[in-house]
Amino acid sequence: MKLIVMFLEAHQPRRLSNFRYQDIGIRENYFWDEKNKEIIKRISQNSYIPTLSLLKDYSVPITLSFSGILLEQLWKYEPTVPDLLKEYFKASGGEMAIESYYHSLSSIWNPERFLNEVRKDMDIKKEIYDKDFRTFRNTEMIYSDKIDEIVNQLNVKNVLTEGTDSIISKYNPNFIYKTPFGHNIFLRNYRLSDDISFRFSNREWNEYPLFSEKYLNWLSNSPGDVINLFMDFETFGEHQRKETGIFEFLEAFIERAKDYNLKFATVNEAAESITPRGQISIKEYISWADIPRDMSAWLGNELQKDLFEILKSLEKCIPEEIYNYLLTSDHFYYVSLGTTPDITVHSYFNPYGSAYDAYINFRNILEDLRLRYCNGN
Amino acid sequence: MGVLGWELPPFFAGGLGIHTLNLFSILGKIIDITLYIPKFTDKDIHYNFKVKMVNYDPVGSPYERNKEFYQKVMDYNEILINEFDKDHDIIHMHDWITVPAGIKLKEKYRKKLVFTVHSTEYDRSGWFYPQERILKIEKEGMMAADRIIAVSHYTKKIISEKFSINPAKVTVIHNGVKSSLFSSFNKNYDLKNKVLYFGRVTPQKGSKFFIEAAYKVNKYIPSAEFIVAGEGDQLNEIKNFSKSLGLENTVNFYGFVSESESVRLYLDSDVFILPAVSEPFGMTVIESLSVGTPAIISKTTGVGEALNNVLKADFWDTDKIANYIIAVLKYRKLRETLGNFGKLEASRFSWENTALKTLEVYNSL
Repeated sequence: MKLIVMFLEAHQPRRLSNFRYQDIGIRENYFWDEKNKEIIKRISQNSYIPTLSLLKDYSVPITLSFSGILLEQLWKYEPTVPDLLKEYFKASGGEMAIESYYHSLSSIWNPERFLNEVRKDMDIKKEIYDKDFRTFRNTEMIYSDKIDEIVNQLNVKNVLTEGTDSIISKYNPNFIYKTPFGHNIFLRNYRLSDDISFRFSNREWNEYPLFSEKYLNWLSNSPGDVINLFMDFETFGEHQRKETGIFEFLEAFIERAKDYNLKFATVNEAAESITPRGQISIKEYISWADIPRDMSAWLGNELQKDLFEILKSLEKCIPEEIYNYLLTSDHFYYVSLGTTPDITVHSYFNPYGSAYDAYINFRNILEDLRLRYCNGN
Repeated sequence: MGVLGWELPPFFAGGLGIHTLNLFSILGKIIDITLYIPKFTDKDIHYNFKVKMVNYDPVGSPYERNKEFYQKVMDYNEILINEFDKDHDIIHMHDWITVPAGIKLKEKYRKKLVFTVHSTEYDRSGWFYPQERILKIEKEGMMAADRIIAVSHYTKKIISEKFSINPAKVTVIHNGVKSSLFSSFNKNYDLKNKVLYFGRVTPQKGSKFFIEAAYKVNKYIPSAEFIVAGEGDQLNEIKNFSKSLGLENTVNFYGFVSESESVRLYLDSDVFILPAVSEPFGMTVIESLSVGTPAIISKTTGVGEALNNVLKADFWDTDKIANYIIAVLKYRKLRETLGNFGKLEASRFSWENTALKTLEVYNSL
């Protein structure tokens, strides 16, 4: 029986406030908490609450990841969601994936900082759910052998990443493989994942409308042991609004899977029941973002690199309770100038209007911190 | 094709004249064009299209806002009707200053009528006491025209919302830029500490907001120079305003600047500012970007709708404009990126494109 391995990533950054040069030395609130609250509340209503309730009702085992900084904000603004998460895990045997607590870019820069973040994430999830979770997924699926080597220092068994075109030209993403350090590696099946997350409500798509029978047929005809459907949690109810029929689709999909000889499993369950098909080594950083599927969504242009270099140089003097939140990948993502199709995705997520505005805000904040804590050096 | 014009370089080169020369130089190679224009010289100047000079002395610019000018326009239109060659298939008029003749000629000879709106009275007045009689002429021209060409979606919106014209009749065609003139330079992004305003000094162009922004930037970067290049009705008022804010050593007035000098000015400035209250297109923005100089423009500047790599603010929000200016001056990477990407984006604007789209409008009639 083929396994559907569904993984949903939930994350929200602590967005930076609109910070003008004139605010330097005067204002101290770097975070746009009013906006963050509004977004957390909206997405909870549109997506987290209805989706978790549905998953709980069907007791369907899947793998979730809620970033540490999302959980912090949920406790503050919408504590019903963490409660619901607990209920879901109890009902279904679902799994929580481990990641960098601050959903940061630390993994490609500073292994020590990165390890601390992952440990913090492991600890907090163990504390809440009273379980050792051993599936690791880095910020936005950023991955290479180097990252595998770093997480080898932790008690990790499985890692998730993107099935990029160059990888799947050699390795069918519907099998499990081993990393050089012996972890099980799962590759996202991006075509079947994006059929739901990007194309579900697209009327221009020649497969529109997508019904569960058709979709399950595709899955059942796709050769291999596992179908790795990795996507944003917010696909359900936020990116694809309830009016699109996404919840009816999800229900029918879960309910009818068995008729197609398909079974839902968490990443860890799949790893325990299926034998890996050999080793995969990935030298360059890959990710699941944008068309190039590399680091360019965050560090692709001079503005993004400038911010990252300055931020790195200020590590020692900015207080950690601020610094941690500045490394979150989203702040860099907003500064992407992208290629044409991607720029529409970036502007959908951009709360500042433009990449340039996002840069100026972030840069002004760094200037303020530099003057305030780093003696202007 | 009979084109009713007003001005033509080298004699008086306003935006309308530049548009007329560039567009019809290209179209003149494809179709038969006769441009009617007030007689401005006895010299024989060669153009790529026929020019018929109407024996009449214009004295003044369509941007002037006085009584005498209005009467002169009416006189010119009367003469135009008599001079017009009835064999043209299409009449193409440009702005209100050629509308009365265009309407009469359409009625008289039953020709098709095209109306290009480069600006409306709302724009030219900065939405401050627009002249009713001119609004009326503009509306009549829009009603009579078979097709209207607007220089931006911003202007199309004014045409449909303020003049109650069916938007289906309006085609948006952006202006071009004489790319060879501006894009052949390699901009260097070392700090020059210069902020440029280049354009007529009028309420429409928002020069007052430029001075306000200068005042706000000056507190943080006292060494930055603010240049006002251009003349206009409001020049004295703006000079006094600048003085009253104590900016004698910060804001410098350069007066009239020729096209070739303007290239130098763009190159030598860190950033170009156009805080227009209402600017149908804004050719200077494209010129500045073509040179590689970043631009900060108002949201009410038409060309902004086709540009991602400029900074946009409300014209009145001088705190935000000041924040942008400081950022561009302080952060080199921002200057470089806005400049390089802006240049790339500006290269998409060409008079060839404008001409092709205009031809499509003619062919649709």
